[in-house]
Amino acid sequence: MLPVVVVHGGAGHIPKERSEKSTSGVCSAARAGYTILQGGGSSMDAVVEAVSELENNPSFNAGCGSVLNVKGEVEMDAIVMDGKTLGSGAVSAVRNIANPVQLARLVMDKTSHACLTAEGASLFAQAMGVPQVSQESLITDYSRMRWKKNLAPDANPVACQMGKMGTVGAVAVDSEGNIACATSTGGMLNKMEGRVGDTPCIGCGGYADNKLGAVSTTGHGEAIMKVTLARLILFHMEQGQSVEAASDLGLAYMKSRVGGLGGVVTVDPQGHWAARFSSLQMAWAAVQKDTLHYGLYAGEHFTQDNNPH
Amino acid sequence: KPNFLFETSDFGVTSCCDSLLYPTDGAIVLLFDGFLEGGLSALNTDGEVELDAIIMDGRTLASGAVSCVKNIANPVSLARAVMEKTAHIMLTGRGANMFAESIGIVTVPTETLVTEYEMKEWEKHKNYVTGVMEDFNSQWAHDTVGAVAVDCAGNVACATSTGGIRNKMVGRVGDSPIIGSGGYADNFTGAVSCTGHGESILKVTLARLILSHIEQGKSVADASQLSLQYMGDRVQGAGGAIVVSPSGKWAATFTTERMAWAAVENDVLWYGLDPNKRLKEQLSK
Repeated sequence: MLPVVVVHGGAGHIPKERSEKSTSGVCSAARAGYTILQGGGSSMDAVVEAVSELENNPSFNAGCGSVLNVKGEVEMDAIVMDGKTLGSGAVSAVRNIANPVQLARLVMDKTSHACLTAEGASLFAQAMGVPQVSQESLITDYSRMRWKKNLAPDANPVACQMGKMGTVGAVAVDSEGNIACATSTGGMLNKMEGRVGDTPCIGCGGYADNKLGAVSTTGHGEAIMKVTLARLILFHMEQGQSVEAASDLGLAYMKSRVGGLGGVVTVDPQGHWAARFSSLQMAWAAVQKDTLHYGLYAGEHFTQDNNPH
Repeated sequence: KPNFLFETSDFGVTSCCDSLLYPTDGAIVLLFDGFLEGGLSALNTDGEVELDAIIMDGRTLASGAVSCVKNIANPVSLARAVMEKTAHIMLTGRGANMFAESIGIVTVPTETLVTEYEMKEWEKHKNYVTGVMEDFNSQWAHDTVGAVAVDCAGNVACATSTGGIRNKMVGRVGDSPIIGSGGYADNFTGAVSCTGHGESILKVTLARLILSHIEQGKSVADASQLSLQYMGDRVQGAGGAIVVSPSGKWAATFTTERMAWAAVENDVLWYGLDPNKRLKEQLSK
């Protein structure tokens, strides 16, 4: 068993001036997650830490930096799943909190439910003592600029979204063989109020099962939902496919059947991992043993010593 | 006809089937399922009705869903409108109600959505477990309805609708509106609608699991049985599912004590409530 953390910062086409920030962001998050595993933390602790860091990073479409809905507001979705128990927690269309992924974990740990939505999710956050943050603190100049641009009658938010999908996610296996996944997003650019995408839907935005592996997805949310992408990839692994082949099969099917592009990070119980995408780019990073792996364009795979002393 | 068929019909599930051709040569199969306990909808801890529904078209894999929408009579019709009139698949909470309003679906008073029985039960539980967020036995106090169908052209569809579980937390979303859990439809494999303990159904993505077994060559009955068995073994959850294949094979299977179900095929109505009991009635042409 080789502990591993794999993170993604969203599939799409990342503008050049932003690509460096995306790469350094995912590398830093993967390192943070791996540090948790090295300290004896669980895979669940590791994915929540990695995703929280990406939520706090304004370069990604999750937490601070989330895209705005049509009314110019931030509504976020997140999910976590524990592969040992198949327990999961999710929040959808939640507002005014900094780290939706942590609230999703609280739903899993503190309630008998698996998903809380909208005002109910906010009420739960308050009951749990999660600090409220202002809408302003979650909005960046960049997200406001993109919102305004896409209010124009001839705008195409779906096409523009490919400019920065930016959903974030992580999968991990710890030394005990427990597997977890986490995914968090601000959703789709200029979405309707109350729109829920794939991210908080179990089997779509993520799935984790100690017996099979874990997947966190990113890309065109509605397409991911139509094929329940995370679950689909794990079905292929159940049939004997490798993490890489299963991920590619799932993404290829999504493209051919419903014309959707996206990306995934995948692990199996042995610690094999893959970061695959059908979009032009996906910022991803992984840490296993003493090596940091990362990439942005298809075929890119850089490595670096993770313990520079 | 057994009255539970009317109960489910009253709830609006039939609207999913409006678009399906009615039989000329008997290729159509319609199934409904639903729990009989409780009223049509359950009240949350605030005494409100929050509804979830999903609909899916197996030809395109297009889907529409609403979660936590308040006080509308036919959530499944709203789910269908999400599928047909928006670029999205799912709308939740206030956003779902705003969309309903924008397309002329009116809200109705809470009293019209819950039975007197449900009101009393809710009061009883509210007083009895003040401060306790969830009802120990709440998994049985729910009423999910669903339908799957295949039309003469081999198109399959599913719809599932629920008022959730009694004394659920405000904003709780169960399995019903989640694609692959509460329902899934694919012309290449079949359609499924699920009912039972929502959180367990979510954990195993029951609808998608059943279809993956069908994809691997299992019969609709075996696929349902295997998946429900797995849900019992792995996460100790009970439930039921109705399934149709593109060729018109169907099954209504459950690991709960009972599940009310009915099916129409070749002008014959099949229905049942208890395990291994299946009744038959000839429908007039």
